[in-house]
Amino acid sequence: MAAGGAPADSASPLMPAIAWRNLWRNRRRTWLSAGAVAFAVGLTGFAMAMQAGMYGTQIDSATAFFAGHVQLKRQDYIDRSRFEHVIGGVTPLVRELESRPGVASVAPRVEAFALASADDRSFGAQVLGVDLERERRTVRFFNRVAEGRMAEQPGEVAIGSALARNLSVGVGGEVVVLGAGKEGGVAAMAATVTGIFNTGMADFDRSLMVAPIVAVQDAFGLGDEAHTLVARIADVDDAGEVAAALNADLPPGVVARSWQAALPEISQAIEVDALGGVLVYAIIMLVVAFSVVNTFIMTIFERTQEFGMLRAIGMRPGTIMGMLQIEAFFIWLLGIGLALAVAGPAIFWLSEYGFHLGEAMSELAGQGLFLPDRLHAKVNALVLLTSPLIMLAGVQIAALIPSLRIRRLRAIVAIRAE
Amino acid sequence: MPIKLLLQMSVRNILRHRRRNGMMLAAVVVAVAAVVMMNSLIRGMQQDMADAAVENLVGHVKVLAPGYRDDPGIQKNFELASDWRPPEGVPEVAGWALRVRVPAVIMSERGTRGIQFVGVNPRQEGISFLSSAHMAGDSLKDASDGRIIIGQALAEQLETGLGRRLVIITQGADGLNREAGFRIAGLYDADGEGMEKFFVFTGVNALQKMVGAEVFTELSIRLHREPALFALKETLVELFTGLEVLDWRELEPQAAAMFIFADAAVLIWFFVMMGALVFGLVNTLITSVMERIRELGMLRAVGMRPRSVVAQVVIESSVLMLIGVAAGVALGLAGIFAMGDGLDLSLWSEGVESFGMRTLLRPVPLVDDVLRIALLSLGLGVVASLYPAWRAIKIKPLEALRR
Repeated sequence: MAAGGAPADSASPLMPAIAWRNLWRNRRRTWLSAGAVAFAVGLTGFAMAMQAGMYGTQIDSATAFFAGHVQLKRQDYIDRSRFEHVIGGVTPLVRELESRPGVASVAPRVEAFALASADDRSFGAQVLGVDLERERRTVRFFNRVAEGRMAEQPGEVAIGSALARNLSVGVGGEVVVLGAGKEGGVAAMAATVTGIFNTGMADFDRSLMVAPIVAVQDAFGLGDEAHTLVARIADVDDAGEVAAALNADLPPGVVARSWQAALPEISQAIEVDALGGVLVYAIIMLVVAFSVVNTFIMTIFERTQEFGMLRAIGMRPGTIMGMLQIEAFFIWLLGIGLALAVAGPAIFWLSEYGFHLGEAMSELAGQGLFLPDRLHAKVNALVLLTSPLIMLAGVQIAALIPSLRIRRLRAIVAIRAE
Repeated sequence: MPIKLLLQMSVRNILRHRRRNGMMLAAVVVAVAAVVMMNSLIRGMQQDMADAAVENLVGHVKVLAPGYRDDPGIQKNFELASDWRPPEGVPEVAGWALRVRVPAVIMSERGTRGIQFVGVNPRQEGISFLSSAHMAGDSLKDASDGRIIIGQALAEQLETGLGRRLVIITQGADGLNREAGFRIAGLYDADGEGMEKFFVFTGVNALQKMVGAEVFTELSIRLHREPALFALKETLVELFTGLEVLDWRELEPQAAAMFIFADAAVLIWFFVMMGALVFGLVNTLITSVMERIRELGMLRAVGMRPRSVVAQVVIESSVLMLIGVAAGVALGLAGIFAMGDGLDLSLWSEGVESFGMRTLLRPVPLVDDVLRIALLSLGLGVVASLYPAWRAIKIKPLEALRR
């Protein structure tokens, strides 16, 4: 057992070689244990990559599509959404905000509720006054028009497809918007429909009208004021920090909220889903850890004689346990290799090409759940390292538990064991 | 070889290695218990979503005028006697409601909102959330009650309250706008704020008078049990020629898709857990066979048939799984019992509500599910023992005895 006369211990370069050879004394068992590790690591890695991909697109479509990464509103507007709770001095504020670090672009919005009429038909509508040029740099919504074009000039309006149908107007038709202005007076605006958008999301299609911000400000008696400022952040992952930094220096009463705070339903849905995932992964790994414990129970049982002999010629129990730890490490390594060979290509293929969610899921996509019709896996360090590292800890502990009895092994009894 | 003897041998083999088999059992118990619990939670979620969809003024089946879904308004209506009843012989009908539902604009002195204005007969609304919602103030008295009931959340938005008057504008049957004042009789508190902001109720006759036509826009029917749906739909299609008869899956495709997805999730989790289990099971069984090479060789030499050897290994695996599954199911059910009324998800209330679920997730253990898990697990035990059994009969008696 000694190389060049030096006593073999777990630090000896000989040890890994011995451990490696030990593994192949029971080839089938080694492969089955490695297979269990590969199953757990491959499956959780795969599932985590898919989850990350899904969350990524969900966040992206919920924020980059319309709501923005960070929203600025007055606190009283958040609480009670009254029309007069507007942010003042919007034009200079928007410019100033765009110069803050991390902020890519900012777009102001006026949000009014009004009655939209065409001929003798009337429906309630959400009137959105926007700075089109800024919106286009901030969110994707304004690039999508099913028919015609977005409203660019005062006197023009773009409306949702269901609203257009309900009002029975098409591109070129006239609509009249009636509502209550800031001072409580009647606000009226007549406009020509220049475009009809069809997002598949009922809220937008049924009730949204988009008009230039100046026109809406004029009609509803607002000055250089807006209800919401929507910001795009250079890197979505920084939304929380950027919002916090913005909050340090804003006009009184105005708060910046990251999408997590502004759209709690999205971030919470993700949290619940992720929590469920973590539970399931933990149970899978636990079940696999049990089989690894079992592997080592069997190994140690069968090798009692061998360990007795090693003890008899002077190897310390700790060294034997070290050897078993190295064996466990190699099993883990084989498992990772297998997982990479099987799940790896699947993950990378799905991150490149994605897969189609099918009809049922496309249905969901349109219903405000913000699922894309094609799902891509997302590979990052978290996805690639979490499950292998947890499994590594699991495997080492699983090997340690049964090997503790080696400390109590008495050489003579062990050698005689059958 | 008599089955009793085989069983005895198998049980003794298991008892020879208590530590090893105990560990294997622990893995089976954890996996089965986890699947049983997860399953009941998924079922709870599924039922929640379906219930919410059905209670949400949808019902199991709805009859609508053609085109109403695309362009909901009073023009897309149908006439029906207000004392209409479902034909005799349709089973499982829990109730039905005839309604008028139109888009409208509601105004207080402080605000204006777009809503769905629903005319109901309160006596028929036992089938929707309206009867169970917590109500401040009065409910509607009858079908000709001309007061309105609005949601708490809408009342806050409009800064109004009980007894105040609101103006509602909607389109009349002749296509012209009608405007009328309504007094608030009650404020309802629904599960989700979305509903509270969306639905305003009044007596159906009052709304018919406002739009100027004695017509309805929907007939909603609720069943005691979902399986009767198909028969009911057929009857209604025959009865209402020219109208659309739709079930809740067609009306709420999102809930229906989630429903199907949950069915699949139940199976996926089962196979994932069992996949994790099967490596350990095969490993244990093979070891059990290989360490008995001499013994099995001897048994073969004295005349044990190969098929008895196979039977012995399969029985050994099955006994192990049987104990594990029984204990796992028991542990799983205990876990469900421990959850009591359900898991409180109110920390994530908005997220959970966006799925159409309630914030209290009740586990719903179904006998069918538990039985299926148990049977599939036992089946897996048999399948996992086939390779070890095959190894066992490959042992040549003479060679084995010489080792």
